[in-house]
Amino acid sequence: MSLLHLDKATIKFGGLIAVNEVSFEIKPGQLFGLIGPNGAGKTTCFNLITGVYKPTSGSIKFEGREISGTPSNKIAHLGIARTFQNIRLFGALSVLENVVVGGFLRHHTGLGSAIAYLPPAIKETDELKQEAMRLLEVVDLAHVANVRSRDLSYGMQRRLEIARAMATQPKLLLLDEPAAGMNPQEKMDLTGTVRRIRDEHDKTVLLIEHDMRFVMELCENIVVLDHGEEIAQGPPSEIRNDPKVIEAYLGEAV
Amino acid sequence: MKFFAVRAGSIALAVAACFALQSFAIGKGDLVFRLVFLAGLYVTLAVSLNLINGITGQFSIGHAAFYMVGAYGAGYTANNYAGSWGLKGPLLMLVLLLIGAVVAAVAGLVVGLPSLRLRGDYLAVVTLGFGEIIRIFVQNSPPLGGAYGLTVDAQFKFKYVWMVWLLAILCIAVCRNLLKTAHGLPFLAVREDEIASSAMGVNVTRVKVTAFVIGSAFAGAAGAMLANFDGFISPTSFPMELSFTILTMVVLGGTGSITGSALAGGVLFYIPEYLRDLKPVSGSSLVAAVIAVIAAVYVVKRIADHYHGDKGKRAALYLGTIIAGVVLQIILAAVFKNVPSLANANFEASKLRMVIFSSTLIILMLLRPQGVFAHHEFSWSWIQRLLGKKVPTTAVSV
Repeated sequence: MSLLHLDKATIKFGGLIAVNEVSFEIKPGQLFGLIGPNGAGKTTCFNLITGVYKPTSGSIKFEGREISGTPSNKIAHLGIARTFQNIRLFGALSVLENVVVGGFLRHHTGLGSAIAYLPPAIKETDELKQEAMRLLEVVDLAHVANVRSRDLSYGMQRRLEIARAMATQPKLLLLDEPAAGMNPQEKMDLTGTVRRIRDEHDKTVLLIEHDMRFVMELCENIVVLDHGEEIAQGPPSEIRNDPKVIEAYLGEAV
Repeated sequence: MKFFAVRAGSIALAVAACFALQSFAIGKGDLVFRLVFLAGLYVTLAVSLNLINGITGQFSIGHAAFYMVGAYGAGYTANNYAGSWGLKGPLLMLVLLLIGAVVAAVAGLVVGLPSLRLRGDYLAVVTLGFGEIIRIFVQNSPPLGGAYGLTVDAQFKFKYVWMVWLLAILCIAVCRNLLKTAHGLPFLAVREDEIASSAMGVNVTRVKVTAFVIGSAFAGAAGAMLANFDGFISPTSFPMELSFTILTMVVLGGTGSITGSALAGGVLFYIPEYLRDLKPVSGSSLVAAVIAVIAAVYVVKRIADHYHGDKGKRAALYLGTIIAGVVLQIILAAVFKNVPSLANANFEASKLRMVIFSSTLIILMLLRPQGVFAHHEFSWSWIQRLLGKKVPTTAVSV
């Protein structure tokens, strides 16, 4: 059974069709890439999946369950977590606290227990922190756990976003341009991190990326969007030689 | 076991401190008593608004309305129903307090549910409007006394100041506990970024409404105190300016800092009261003071902007500037004594109190726009950090 299934998902903003009848299927354990030129509708696609927007038509199924129109926070509870293209960390909070926010959706003590500062809430807080600390080790940020996240370097902030998304213990992880603005060395490290997340932590990953080499090296299956339309789909070797993809990226012959 | 010992100890300490304050205030006359009592209310109001504005980041400027709702709710109940309950003393006050809190919390829920989907300025406009609606509604409803105000069956008049301060401490404790546990993080996360919060599974609207309801409940409890201890409330006791005063306390104390707003609540309430007693000053020393203050503020601002060296040296420079300002004032005052038109003019300093108060606020915002405490808490680890020790810099440390 597929983990995520988009079936002719469409969204219109007024007269603009941002995503037009896009369909693809992601199987559990896949590393899936979503690529396309600027303005192709990739991030809008993410926003549809995570409930920021409701599709105008078409369906989005997660584990066989219709999720289009479900609010973002409920989708996070179902098991889809994401990072953001323009980093959206909780700037004033520490690195550790950012990750704890991600893990907090699995809390089981009540607000009353926290307000009265009772042992269950204290204990849960400690557990969440320890769990967050382990995740910070995965993305190699444990040494800056108490730094304000706003003060981190760009590459570190991107990794922190991944750790925060991982803290929700998602089944499907959506990464929106995780390598943007990184240097070649950082990109290589990131490739390793994403692979490790898939292999050791058993996640399915869907990522948006501009860097073709990065995507081709990492992903097993790729969907290409252009002007909101799906123009190709398949393994990297096919995508690389697809005339439509080349045209979308390089422009057509004059 | 240790946990409960510490908990029981700190509660006992808080109660003891409140009783100590009461025994200090008693016998010092009505004025001192009233000051101590009102200061406690303002601390509660500032800290509870900080939960909404500072911690959750929802710009509400209608806090006086919830204070008012609580006051009228508890006052009306005390006049019309409380007589038949057969309760007495602190127990009756406690029940009235809860009624004030519940009524205000319900009002908070009713206002919050639809309006907290709005952001920033829009929410500010809604809360401001709500404040006016409540005030005008009360002004025009005879059962609540209308514009004449409501005289509350004042069996608690000038009694139980300890309860007021216990309420303030409770309010501070609730906010502090919230931030000490993971439950506080969604509140801060909503302040930082709503979209990211909801992608992390935080129910943004629910978090906002929770903050709003808790904050309103404390304001309502403070209102219940006011109604029953003061014995008289009227729509003019809750003007729009009151909301702004409370907001000023939060901003000046450092938005998001619990201790900052508590301190600012006490101090900002006290300054205008204190200034009432100033002796008349001559025109010469007044003009000298104005010049000295402007000069000192200018120099301090220059130092803050351009001196990036050692912290200790900078503090010394500030101190030096302040001393120089005082000296300048004395010298200038002596010089201006020779100007007859200035030396002979006498000013009632008590009439200048609001001018002095507002200039103080302007100067503070010029020199420290992030508030006295910024986002810091006055805590043991903060003092350690000031002394140069390495301690985690965030609210919730490992």
